[in-house]
Amino acid sequence: MSATLQPYLEAVRHTLEAALCLEQFSSQVVERHNKPEVEVQTSKELLMTPVVVARNKQERVLIEPSVNSVRISIAIKQSDEIEKILCHKFTRFMCQRADNFFVLRRKPLPGYDISFLITASHTEAMFKHKLVDFLLHFMQEIDKEISEMKLSLNARARVSAEEFLKRFN
Amino acid sequence: MIILEQNNRIIVELLEQKFANAKEGGKPESVNVTFADFDGVLYKVSNPDGVKTRIILSISLKFYAELQQHGADDLLRKVYGQNMRATPEPGFNVTLEYDLTALPDNTLELVQKASALKRNCFASVFEKYFEFQETGQEGHKRAVINYREDETMYIEAKADRVTVIFSTVFKDADDVIIGKVFLQEFREGRKASQTAPAVLYSLGEPPLELKDLPGARVGDNVGYITFVLFPRHTNKKTRDNTIDLIHSFRDYLHYHIKCSKVYLHTRMRAKTTDFLKVLNRARPEVKGEKKTFHGKTFQTQ
Repeated sequence: MSATLQPYLEAVRHTLEAALCLEQFSSQVVERHNKPEVEVQTSKELLMTPVVVARNKQERVLIEPSVNSVRISIAIKQSDEIEKILCHKFTRFMCQRADNFFVLRRKPLPGYDISFLITASHTEAMFKHKLVDFLLHFMQEIDKEISEMKLSLNARARVSAEEFLKRFN
Repeated sequence: MIILEQNNRIIVELLEQKFANAKEGGKPESVNVTFADFDGVLYKVSNPDGVKTRIILSISLKFYAELQQHGADDLLRKVYGQNMRATPEPGFNVTLEYDLTALPDNTLELVQKASALKRNCFASVFEKYFEFQETGQEGHKRAVINYREDETMYIEAKADRVTVIFSTVFKDADDVIIGKVFLQEFREGRKASQTAPAVLYSLGEPPLELKDLPGARVGDNVGYITFVLFPRHTNKKTRDNTIDLIHSFRDYLHYHIKCSKVYLHTRMRAKTTDFLKVLNRARPEVKGEKKTFHGKTFQTQ
């Protein structure tokens, strides 16, 4: 693990722990509605200051807390075209399975690759610390997976090219 | 399965079965099969006029007229001899005919030849230009074969080399990027094998040799791959091997691009399930009903 990754993840972890103090909160605008306030953005007083934790220009996390929900958006490192398409495919793949992921938002926020939305109901049904663990696990693994996929793609290209050219004599 | 098969598997299996049946003296059955191959090639195996003891194999290539200009007919006649019909079946370009009552002893060779029909159609143009190179004839017009709708092959002979240029279209934007990785490796491939031909590529616009050609396509999703074949590849001994490989290059490249995409998708699917498992750890386990030793339900108050 590189030297800057650990503090980055720690910062995200502490911010998330602080942000995940949620309670059920009925809408102030529409009667009998209970909506994630960070999504509807109808009452300013229920939203808290959004925080961006950035490791560098590309890798950053936006955490937007509100009274009954937290939105977490992650930007993943993409240093070249291959990583860009791999990342795009991967996040699209996950978003299509958003129903199974409960906390995954179907569309990422503009400028980010993937977004999660944790509501008060989620924190009631699940352990908060495990949810935070999941998000951090995701952030760590996705980088690893993308670089491994890129390596295997290059390896495959090399093997197939060499095999083909070796046949010429 | 790294290298694609040069011959057509369906022809091999079909003819082997028919020939074996005829040899054992079985009753000939009627046959009518239509199937496809790479580059929009269509095959049809049937009985002429319902005569069950004869089998005809027809091939249809969209670009056969272009191959004919380079002596495809003569080459095929040389390879297939009397098995080739003088006039092909309507709607097809070449027709081979086999009489099940008069089969030679070595049907294996016959099947091999028949299954390489597509390859032999392609071979004519390569053979012609390899011959030009060998005899040192320069100044011949470049051969242009539109082997697929938007994709073209150019062959040119110089005194010391033959250049084969493929233009290929990547349908998907992602394929362009993955294709670039593959083509880079092809260019580097010479390091692995000293005997390999030189490979060059350019994406988006045609290489300098084709700059003056009006038909050369330009666009983000177009790739050009140049093979420079040296005399060691074009001499009579190695010629067949070179043709085998080079005529299937386009299919080989695209096949491997598709395969790597499949691999990546499988990996992503596995990883997604993995993430799901981690997330599910966050859900407290639903405790089942507790029972006492005697099987009575234990109620928690």
